[in-house]
Amino acid sequence: MVSLTIDGRQLEVPEGITVLEAAKLAGIEIPTLCYHPRLTPYGGCRLCVVEVERMRTLQPSCTLPVSNGMVVYTNTPKVREARKFILTLLFSERNHYCMYCQMSGGDCELQNAAYGEGMTHWPLPPNWNPYPIDASHKYFVLDHNRCIICRRCVRACGELVGNFTLGVRERGADVMIMADLDVPLGESTCISCGTCVQVCPTGALIDRMSAYRGREKDVQRIKSTCVGCSVGCGIELIVRDNHLLRIEGDWDAPVNGGLLCELGRFRPLYEDRERIVTPLVRMNGRLKAATWEEALHRIAAQLKPLVGRNGDGIAALASTRLPAEALYLFKQLFAEKLGSEMVTSIEEGLPTAVPGAIAQAAGRPLEGGLEALQSTDCVVVIGADLTENHQVAGFFVKRALPNGIRLIVIDPHENGLQRLAHYALRPKKGTDLELLLGILAGVIRLGLAKGEVSSAYDLDRHTPEAASQITGVPIDQILAVSQTIATAQKPVFVYGKGIIGDGSPQALKALLELARLVGALDEERSTVVSTKGQANSLAAYLYGLDRTFEVNGHQAVYLALGDDTPSQRLIQRLQGAPFIAVQASYVSPVTAMADVVLPVTTWVEQEGHYLNLDGRLQKARRGLQPPAEVRSNVEVLEAIAANLEMTLNCSWKEALRARVPIVAIRE
Amino acid sequence: MTKPKIATDWLAGCSGCHMSLLDIDERIVQLAELADIRATPVTDLKEPDESGVDVGILEGAVNLTTNEEVAHRMRRRCKILVALGDCAVFGGVLTMRNFHKLEDALRRAYVEAESVDGDGKIPSSPELGRPTRVRALDEVVDVDVYIPGCPPDPDVIFYALSELLQGRIPELKDEKLHWH
Ligand code: SF4
Ligand code: SF4
Ligand code: SF4
Ligand code: SF4
Ligand code: FES
Repeated sequence: MVSLTIDGRQLEVPEGITVLEAAKLAGIEIPTLCYHPRLTPYGGCRLCVVEVERMRTLQPSCTLPVSNGMVVYTNTPKVREARKFILTLLFSERNHYCMYCQMSGGDCELQNAAYGEGMTHWPLPPNWNPYPIDASHKYFVLDHNRCIICRRCVRACGELVGNFTLGVRERGADVMIMADLDVPLGESTCISCGTCVQVCPTGALIDRMSAYRGREKDVQRIKSTCVGCSVGCGIELIVRDNHLLRIEGDWDAPVNGGLLCELGRFRPLYEDRERIVTPLVRMNGRLKAATWEEALHRIAAQLKPLVGRNGDGIAALASTRLPAEALYLFKQLFAEKLGSEMVTSIEEGLPTAVPGAIAQAAGRPLEGGLEALQSTDCVVVIGADLTENHQVAGFFVKRALPNGIRLIVIDPHENGLQRLAHYALRPKKGTDLELLLGILAGVIRLGLAKGEVSSAYDLDRHTPEAASQITGVPIDQILAVSQTIATAQKPVFVYGKGIIGDGSPQALKALLELARLVGALDEERSTVVSTKGQANSLAAYLYGLDRTFEVNGHQAVYLALGDDTPSQRLIQRLQGAPFIAVQASYVSPVTAMADVVLPVTTWVEQEGHYLNLDGRLQKARRGLQPPAEVRSNVEVLEAIAANLEMTLNCSWKEALRARVPIVAIRE
Repeated sequence: MTKPKIATDWLAGCSGCHMSLLDIDERIVQLAELADIRATPVTDLKEPDESGVDVGILEGAVNLTTNEEVAHRMRRRCKILVALGDCAVFGGVLTMRNFHKLEDALRRAYVEAESVDGDGKIPSSPELGRPTRVRALDEVVDVDVYIPGCPPDPDVIFYALSELLQGRIPELKDEKLHWH
């Protein structure tokens, strides 16, 4: 602890924090602009200056570490005068005519700071040189006229996202935020994660969709969970009058710490599929609007004779974007009550069945959490492209690179992380297993293995040389990777569908053996993480919804599609099914084939739980009211059961314990 | 005791600030009790007394040479000069013109505008004065009190004027301070 005095108050604060943070702990407000709690302090704007006894000049409190006996004043005439002067200069630098700015009226930190200092006018006339406006980006606009060069966007893009798209050019009055080597944002390496927009304190970076549609005081903020993928990032829904204006990352969320990817932040706002707003029933070959009673009755009439009929009765498929509550009802209804064997999920257990079986056999979870990426020195990514899917996990990898971590990417395909990798191994397709065995053999040969290799592996046969032959990866690369992984302090393995997609467990087993031999996996802990797939992949697995979907003479097919998009493969497999019923939010080729369509809520109109890739059980909250005739996925399944005179229990949470989880569940 | 004299005038503005002043509604009677309202653009007497007033209020930015004259006249004739509204305080929405060449702006407004039917002409009567760069009032004369807002809230105007008329300089802060 350090003791210091701020504004006459004696304080005891933790060592290593800044004067600004100490003041905050004591409830003393110091105005700031370039400071952001999630970014490294930069000390650029000087608005946060304070007077410190025995220091000659005013000091920026955001970069000044506390020290014993320090005596600080945050509100002396000298400090206030300095703040006013700093603000005066900022306003004179560019165009801050607030009346035509989207942020004016409470949302702009610069304007608020001026109000805080009681500025009724600008002591210096503004700069009349117009600065450019970069409107080339599809989701946001960069208006240099409003920019105060606080560099929050630059730091966020680099430190948090690891993308390093933004930088600063020139000096003095000509400084400008720029993308890459000064190209328009829309043509830059920007990956549209929107973090820069979320941290910008002024009207310089403005989101196109929500601009001028409501200020902070007009909107509601609802904390929820992104269902774009299994990372399960914490989000805030910004809603006004039942319109979703914007999605922001929740800074307090443990999974993502405020970050989102394009899929989570922007895409849902540009949803353009046609909504289904009333039940539809096929009559004389055409889908016609119907009442809920008619539609449910039609389904019940079709399903009833098929109850308990094995083999060719009912086939049922659910989206892994549905909440756990709905998935559990679905499984109960079709597998237990209706006695169908063909009850599975849209992902067919592809990302989970193989690791699931291994965990089941071992009797314990195999995987660890994403937080391992925060303190690693070596990451191996295999069979997953983290720049395409599960992107926030990819940000964690990318942003750790400047700390000197080693990145190894193993993928036969083009992979966005390859260009950043120290070793980008591209084995021939289908040779992941051999490559992993070669690396494993390399670790043994170098004498770096932490433990004995399992007798299942014949290392006389699986040599690095043999692996090189089969995979086409040069031998020196294989050995270098063995060396790198084995000498790392805290290696982390991130794997994806790529190494289990063929349904064979051998490659994953080899990966786990390798992880064990380099100390990334033992009885207590694991720094192996798999990306899974969609938002509720893991829950679907735990409910046993993981078999391959086949329609083999089934008399009826029921699809709980929710707001998911059906794949071509699914559409093909449904050809020729005698009766199809679908609960779905949007019109799709599948709803066009159906005999009965039940309109359901989208992700943002329903409540429910999701089990993310590292076992966190998280809640998604409702942000919008659904259209009048639309029901939630849970309500629809309950209604179908009721029409069949069946009752379902709602112990979805307990049911998650039916299988050994791939990764321990955390609540 | 004689009541303090007060006069208002406008420069290049939309007259919204004067409308907001009238929006203080029946409280205008209270003001009239406190002050001798001399000249305003909306009453019979248009110019402040040559003998001077205590408080002079100007709305609008300085946009023409004639605006400059009005501003100087008010400054000469009042003790305390109030800049009322964003145009007077900052230059306001008119400043958008400063980002273009003056000729282009005039041509766009008087010749090319969709509402001009073919034979538009840029006005040139000497009475109008010559257009200049748009400026905030304090770029032309010294200002004593600033009341920002587009337009300022009637409550804020009422507060500021009652303070002034009782011999105090109003302090605008917290909920009274808005620039737009
Ligand atoms: S960025 Fe802030 S200070 Fe600048 S014009 Fe917009 S609201 Fe005003
Ligand atoms: S764009 Fe925004 S965040 Fe970036 S430097 Fe300018 S004001 Fe700061
Ligand atoms: S959107 Fe993301 S990647 Fe693009 S510039 Fe902003 S922070 Fe960087
Ligand atoms: S990584 Fe996944 S959960 Fe996170 S924002 Fe992107 S799509 Fe949503
Ligand atoms: S907030 Fe401290 S220098 Fe900007």
